[in-house]
Amino acid sequence: MKRLFNIILALLLTSTIFAQDDLLRKANELYTKDQFKEAIDVYNQILMSNLESPEVYFNLGNAYYKTKQYPLAILNYERAKLLSPDDEDIDFNLQVANQHVVDSIQELPGIFFVRWWNSLVNSQTTDTWALISIFSFLLFLILGGLYFFARSGDIRRTAFWTASFLFIFSMMTWSFASQQKSRLVDHTQAIVMDPTVTIKSSPSEKGTNLFVVHEGLKVKITDKVGDWLEVRLADGKKGWLTTESIERI
Amino acid sequence: MTRKIKILLILLFVGYGAMADNIRFTMEAPEAVSVGDQFRLSFTLNERGADLQLPDLSNFDLLMGPSTSQSSSFQMINGKTTQSTSFSYIFVLRAKTEGKFTIRPASIKVDGKTYESNSLEIQVVKGQPQQQQQGAQSGNQAEESVPTGNISKDNLFVRLSLDKSNVSKGEQILATVKLYLSQSVPLNGFDEVKLPSYEGFWTKEIDVPQQVNFTREVYNGKIYQVGILKKTILFPQQTGSIKIDPFEITCLVRQKVRQQQGFFDDFFDNYRVVKAKVVSDPVTVNVKDLPNQPSNYSGAVGNFSFSGTMDKTDVKSNEAVTIKLTVNGSGNLTLINPPKIELPEDFEAYEPKTNQNTVANDNGLSGSVSFEYLFIPRFAGNFAIPAVEFVYFNPSTRQYETRSTKAFQLNVQKGSDDENASVVNSYSKEGVKMIGKDIRFIKQNTSKLKPKGSSFYGTLGFYSVYGFSLLAFGVVFVVNRKKIKESANIALVRNKRANKVALKRLKAAAGHMKNNQAEMFYESVIKALWGYLSDKLSIPVADLNRERASASLLKRGIDQEVVNELMKIIDDCEFARFAPAAFSGTMTEIYDGAARVMGIFEKQIK
Repeated sequence: MKRLFNIILALLLTSTIFAQDDLLRKANELYTKDQFKEAIDVYNQILMSNLESPEVYFNLGNAYYKTKQYPLAILNYERAKLLSPDDEDIDFNLQVANQHVVDSIQELPGIFFVRWWNSLVNSQTTDTWALISIFSFLLFLILGGLYFFARSGDIRRTAFWTASFLFIFSMMTWSFASQQKSRLVDHTQAIVMDPTVTIKSSPSEKGTNLFVVHEGLKVKITDKVGDWLEVRLADGKKGWLTTESIERI
Repeated sequence: MTRKIKILLILLFVGYGAMADNIRFTMEAPEAVSVGDQFRLSFTLNERGADLQLPDLSNFDLLMGPSTSQSSSFQMINGKTTQSTSFSYIFVLRAKTEGKFTIRPASIKVDGKTYESNSLEIQVVKGQPQQQQQGAQSGNQAEESVPTGNISKDNLFVRLSLDKSNVSKGEQILATVKLYLSQSVPLNGFDEVKLPSYEGFWTKEIDVPQQVNFTREVYNGKIYQVGILKKTILFPQQTGSIKIDPFEITCLVRQKVRQQQGFFDDFFDNYRVVKAKVVSDPVTVNVKDLPNQPSNYSGAVGNFSFSGTMDKTDVKSNEAVTIKLTVNGSGNLTLINPPKIELPEDFEAYEPKTNQNTVANDNGLSGSVSFEYLFIPRFAGNFAIPAVEFVYFNPSTRQYETRSTKAFQLNVQKGSDDENASVVNSYSKEGVKMIGKDIRFIKQNTSKLKPKGSSFYGTLGFYSVYGFSLLAFGVVFVVNRKKIKESANIALVRNKRANKVALKRLKAAAGHMKNNQAEMFYESVIKALWGYLSDKLSIPVADLNRERASASLLKRGIDQEVVNELMKIIDDCEFARFAPAAFSGTMTEIYDGAARVMGIFEKQIK
C-alpha cells in the first residue's frame, strides 16, 4: 500500500524526482570515493529542490561527520530520524556523533508509561499510523456490518466488541498520526550550532547568564519573543537564546 | 721522536713478519720533504735477500747507500725458541725539485724468488723550513725569531676539519681535530684539552690511538708534523647553520732559555717547558632540513639495505614467533625507529627488541641494527603479514628511498591446548572486539524522495478514504435493511390477512351451502384452507402439500389432533368433490370443522 502510494506520488513528480535520483546516486558515489565536501554540496542541492528522504539526511549527516562538522551531522541525523523513527542505523550514527558533544545532560527519567507512550507514538511515521488507522477503520465497518446483518447471536456479540475496539484503535492511531505530523511540521526541536552559547534568563542581552551550552546539543523550543527563543534542555533547564545560534530540526 | 717511533714500528713489523713466517719486503720514506733536504729511504726484509733492484730515483740525488744492517731477535716461549732476523737497506736521498713523486716498488730476490715492495708517494716542497730548522738548532739568532713562551701561530696550531660542510639533517659528518706542528717546535706533551661541545649534533667517537701518531703533511706550502687528536662522527639534529665551538689545547713545548752569561753556557743548553695554548678556528656547518617526510619515515639518513626473516612459518597457536628485521649500511643507525609491522589484530605482540652492531671509523658509522618482534598468535588460521617497509633518506640523492621485505605467510595450527585442560578447566569466551569506532556507511537505496513535509495523513485522499468507506457502508446498510424489512412485511401482512381471506372464502362457501351447490362449496372450503395455510406458514401454494403442511404446523407447536382434524377435513372435502356417493357427512359439519381449526390456528400461530 505504502509502495503503491509512493509510486503514485512518484508518478506525479516524475520528471523532477528522476533528475534528483541521479543527483543522489552521484552524491553517494562521491561519498564512496571519500570526496565528502563535494558529496555535501550535491546532497544539499537535492534538499534545496524541496525534496527529502531519510536516506538523503542520513547520508548528508555521514558526510558532515566525515568532515568533522559534528553539529551539522547531528542535525541531519535528527532530521532523518524524524522521517524514519525506527531506523537502527540512524540511531547508531546519531549516538556516535553525540559522543562529540561537549555537554553531558542527564535526561529526566519521566514517568514510565509516558515514556512507553512516547516511544510507541515515535515508533512509526505519520503515514504508517495513517494507514493503520484507515485499515482498522475499514475493518471496523466490515465487522459493524456483520453485527447488523448476522442472525447468530454469538457472531453478533463478537463482531460488536471487536468493532468497538477497532473503532477506538482507529481513532487512537489517527491521533498518533496527527502527533507525528505536528512534529514534522512544527519543528519544535533544535540543535545548537554555535560553538558556545550563553543561555540568558530573559529574552534580552541584559538577562542574567544562566548557563553555557555547546554545539551539537539538542534542545526543545518552548516559546518565542522576537529574535529570542525559550529553550528547554533534556534535564529540564530553561532559558533564552537567539534564533541564529540554533537550527531547527 | 718520530724516528724513534718509526724504528719501534719497524721492529714491531719485523717481529710480526717473523712470527707469520712470511717474507715481507717494505719500503719506507717520509711523506713530505723539502727541496735540498736529506731523507732516508729504507727497505726492510725479514729474510736474507740478494740482488736489490732499486726503482727509478731520477728525481732525487742519491747521496749515500746502501748501508745494510741486520738485527736478530730470539724468543723463548714455553721452552720453544724462535729466531727472527731482519735486514735493512738504507739509502740517503735528497730532493731536487718541487712536486709530487711516486716511487715505484723495488724488488729483491730471496732463495731465487723475486719479491716486490710497496710503492710510495713523496711530496717535495720549497726548502725554506729546512733552513729555519737548521738555524733554530744552530744557535742564538733563532731565539730572537721565536720569542720566549710565545710560539708563533705558523708553527703550532690546531685545526678542526670537516669532510662536508653542507649536509642534510641527520647526514653524518666526519670531524677531525689535527695538531699541526712545525718541525722547529719540539713538543713535550699536552696539558688541558677542551673538546668542542658539538651542540646540535649527536656524536659518535672514533677510536684513535692514545699515543698520538705524527705524520708529515704539507699545509700551505710548509711541512708539518701532523697528529690526529680526535675523530668524531657528527649527526646534525638541527637545521640552519650550526657553529661548532673551537677546540682548545694546551701544548707543552720545550724551549731553549737564554740566561745570564754564565760559565757553563757555552757547554750546556738550558731548556724550559712552556705552555702554549692553541685554539682552532670556529667552523660552521649548513644543515638543510629534510623534504616532506613520508608518514612511515624511519628517521634514518644514509645508505642502507633492509632484510627481514621470520623464524617459523608453521606454528601451533600460542607459540611465539619472531620476525627479525635488519638494517645494514652506513648512516645514523642508532637513531632509527623500529619499522611498523602490521600484524593481524588478535595477535599478541610485544615491543621490538633492538640490537646494534655498529663500527665507527673514517667511513662513518656503519654496521647493522636489527629489530626483533616477538608475537604470539592466539588462534589457528592462515595469516598474511604484509611486507614491511623501511623508508630512509638518501643524502646523496636527497630523496626518500623505500626498501621492503617480502610478505610473510604464517600458518597457525591449532595448538595442543587440550594438554592444559587439566589446569585450565574453563574456556574463556571473548566478545567480538571492536577495533575501531566509526559511523555506519551511507544508505544506497534511492528513489524514495518525496516533497518536503508531505505526508499521506491530512491530505484530501486520507480523509476521503474515511468518507467514502463510511458512505459505502451507509448505502449498503440502508439498502440491505430495506430489503429485509420489505420481505418481513410481506410475510406479516399475509399472516395478518390470512384469517380475513379465509373467512371471506368460507363466507362464499356458506353462500354455496345455502344454494345447495355442493361441488362449489367443497371447492371453496379447500381453497380457503390451503390459501390460509399458505399465508399463515409463508409457504407458496404451489409448494404446499399435506406432508409439508403438517410438518410445518407440528413445528409451530400445533397439536397432532388438530393437524389430524385438518387433514380429515381436507380428505372429506376431496371425497365429497370427487366421490359424492361415498361421502356420508354434511356440508355444515365440514364448514364448522374448518372454522374451528382455523380458529385454533389463529390463536396459536403468530
